[in-house]
Amino acid sequence: MTTTETTPSAPGLDTVPGQSNKFRRYMNGISAVMGMELRQRLRSRGWYIMLSIWFVLIGLVAVLTWVSWQAQTNRTDFSYVPPDQLVEGPGPLIFEAVLAFVLFFGLLVAPAFSANAISGDRSAGTLAIMQVTLLRPGQLLWGKFLASWIAALAFLVVSVPFLVFGIIQGGLGVGYIFIALLMLAAELGVVCALGVGISALANRPLFSIVVTYLVVALLSFGTLIAFGLGALLSNGTVLANQTYYKEIVYAPAPNGEVEGEDSQYYPVTPNKADITDENNEYACYGPLVENQTTRTERVAWLLAMNPFVVVADAIPYPSHSAQEQSYYGSGVFESISQGARYSQAGPNATFQCANGKIAPQYLEQDKPLWPLGLGLQLLVTAGILGLAWRALRTPAGKLAKGTRIA
Amino acid sequence: MTEFLPPPPATASPPQPAAQPSPEQLAPDGIFPPEGFRGLSAKGLSRSFGSVHAVVDMELLAPAGQVTALIGPNGAGKTTLLLMLASLLAPDTGSISVMGIDPVKDPTVARAKIGWMPDTLGVWESLTVREILTTMGHFYHLPKAGIPGRVEELLTLVSLSPLADQKARVLSRGQQQRLSLARALIHDPEVLLLDEPASGLDPGSRVALRRILRNLAAHGKVVVVSSHVLAELDEIADGAVFVNQGRTVLAQTVAQAADQGRRYCIAALDPAALAEALGNLGVEFSHGTVRAESVLVTVGSEVGAAKLLQDLMAAGVAVHDFGPATGALEETYMSMGVEQP
Repeated sequence: MTTTETTPSAPGLDTVPGQSNKFRRYMNGISAVMGMELRQRLRSRGWYIMLSIWFVLIGLVAVLTWVSWQAQTNRTDFSYVPPDQLVEGPGPLIFEAVLAFVLFFGLLVAPAFSANAISGDRSAGTLAIMQVTLLRPGQLLWGKFLASWIAALAFLVVSVPFLVFGIIQGGLGVGYIFIALLMLAAELGVVCALGVGISALANRPLFSIVVTYLVVALLSFGTLIAFGLGALLSNGTVLANQTYYKEIVYAPAPNGEVEGEDSQYYPVTPNKADITDENNEYACYGPLVENQTTRTERVAWLLAMNPFVVVADAIPYPSHSAQEQSYYGSGVFESISQGARYSQAGPNATFQCANGKIAPQYLEQDKPLWPLGLGLQLLVTAGILGLAWRALRTPAGKLAKGTRIA
Repeated sequence: MTEFLPPPPATASPPQPAAQPSPEQLAPDGIFPPEGFRGLSAKGLSRSFGSVHAVVDMELLAPAGQVTALIGPNGAGKTTLLLMLASLLAPDTGSISVMGIDPVKDPTVARAKIGWMPDTLGVWESLTVREILTTMGHFYHLPKAGIPGRVEELLTLVSLSPLADQKARVLSRGQQQRLSLARALIHDPEVLLLDEPASGLDPGSRVALRRILRNLAAHGKVVVVSSHVLAELDEIADGAVFVNQGRTVLAQTVAQAADQGRRYCIAALDPAALAEALGNLGVEFSHGTVRAESVLVTVGSEVGAAKLLQDLMAAGVAVHDFGPATGALEETYMSMGVEQP
C-alpha cells in the first residue's frame, strides 16, 4: 500500500551516529535525565526538610553517645578498671553509633528518593513523553538512578561532620571514615537502584515505595531471620577431637582417677603424644570423632547480604594480635563482622579442635565477607533493573492490568 | 415537513460509492494515489488490553502536507491508535508506516520523525517552560548550540515567551496545552500526532493552533489531529477518519472522499419553490438538520455546485444561502449512529 521512501531527517537529527558518537550520545541522554531529576529534587522543599531532620537526628545520636560515654568513664573511675586499660576514647563509640544510624536512616530515606522515580512520572503522565523521545530505557534508568543516588549521598555528606567528630575524639584513623563512607555510599546506591527498578515495574508511586521498603526490610531483617532458619536446617558433622583447658583446675580424685559415670566430666591431662595442637590456654588431643554441629557456612551468604554486615565487614579493623587478650575491646561493628565471618568460616574453622586444630579466637582480616554480600546485592539489583528495562521498552507489548501508557 | 429529518444519504456509513470520483474535493493540495503515498499509514491495526478490545480493525492514511482528523466518540480507540502510531504501543496485528519506517521494528528512527502531544497534560511542574523545552531538546539529541534558539522560536510560535521562566505549575490549562504542543514540535518532526490539542484552549489560542497546524501542513508535514470539537476540524482538516468501537468506520481521506460528493446547504426565500425547482432538476435533497428551512443536496464537485446554482437562478428561485454544509464532519459523525458505551 505504501512505498518505502527515504526522507531527509529533521535538521540536526542524525539518527545513524558513529560508534564513539553513540556512546557520547548515550551519556548525554543520561545526563539530561539526571539533570532534570536533580533540578526537580532541588526545588522540592521536602528534600531540605528531610535533610535538616536528618542533621538534627544524627547530631543527637553523636551528642548522646558522647554524653553517655562521659558518664560511663566517670563511673569507671571508681571501679577496679585502671583508666589506662579503658578503650581508647569516645571516638570509636561515637563513630560506630553515627555510622550505624547513618546506615539505618539511610536505608529509610533512600527509598523515598528512588521508589517514585518512574512510577511518579507514570502517574503524572510524563513518562510516556520521555519514552516517545530518542531516550532509551537504559538512559532513563541510569539517569533516574544517578539522580536519586546523588540526592541520597547528600545525606551522607551532612553526616560527615559527626563522623569527623568521632575521629577527632580519638582512637580511629581517617581511613576508617573514608572506607565507611564508601561502603555507606555503595549501600545507598544499592537501595536507590532497587527503588528505581521497582518504580519502573509498579504503576503507582505508593505501591513502589511500599515494596521498596519491604525489600529493604527483607535485606536488613529478613536476611537475619532466613539465616537463623537456614542454620536450623543445616545440621552437619565435623571431625574434631577432645579439648583440654589448661587453666581449669580439676579436683583430682584421691587415686588420681575419676570413677564411674562422672569420668567424662573430668578429663585427665592428656599425654603429650596425643596432643595434636595446643596454645597457652588449651590443647586438642585424642582421636578425631564426628561431632554434630551446624554447618553455618551453607547459609552465611544470607547473612552476608545484610547491609549492616556489608558495611561492618568492609571496615578494616586494627589487627588484634597485639592485644590478643582483650577480646571485648572490639566495637559493635567489629563484632558483627566477626560474627558473620565465623558463620562464613563454618565449623571446620571455628569448632574447637576441628580436625585436631586450635580454633582461632579472632578471625583475621584476610577473608572478607562483604564482597560476597555486596555481590549478591548487586546481582539482585541487576535482576530487578533488567526487569525494569524490559518494562520500559517501547513500543510496549504486554501491559500490566490497569496500566495506561499515557 | 420540518420534523422529517432523513439521514444524509451521502454520508451515512458505510460509505456509498458515488459515480463521480472527485479527489480534489477533500484534497485541495493534489492527488495522492496510494502507490506513491508519502506520509503516515496504518492498516489492519488491532490492540487489546486483556479482554478489552480497544482497537479492533483500524486503517489510516495521513498524507504529508495535509491535516487528517481522527474523529470518534470517547472510548472509540483514538488514543490507543495514536499511541500505536507514536511508537509507544505495539499493535497486536497490523502494520504502521511512518514515512516508510516501521515504528515497531525501528522505533528510534521513527521517533526522530514523530512529534506526539498526549491528551493528558503531563508537565514537570517544578521546571520552567524554557527548561522543559531545553530538556526535550536534549532528549532528542539536538545539537546543543542550536537548542536555545529553537526553544525561543517555539516559545514565540505558541506565544509563551512572556511565561518562559515561569514554573510549569503556574500555567493555566490552555497554556500547558500550548507548552505541550511546543514540546511535540521541538525536533521539527515530519509527523505530528495531536491528541485533543484544542481542549482547554481559548478562542484566540484555537485560531493560533489552527494557523500553526495549517502552516505545518503547508510545509509538507503529516498532521493527525484527534478531536471531538468538530466545528474546529472542519476548518483545519483536509481529511477525516471516523472511528467507532475500535474500527475505522469511514475514511474521508483522499481515496475514499473521491467516491463521495460534497454536501451543500441551500436556503431560499420560498422553500416550496426551491423544493420544486430541485425536483424539476432531478436533484435529490434532504432537509437540513441545522436550519429547518434549508435543504441539503449532494453535489459531485465544485463545478457541479456552480452549475446547480446557475440552474436554480435560471429557475427563478430566490436563493439567499448557498454553500458547503457547515459542520459536515459533525453531520457525518452524528450519522454514524455512535453508541456511547
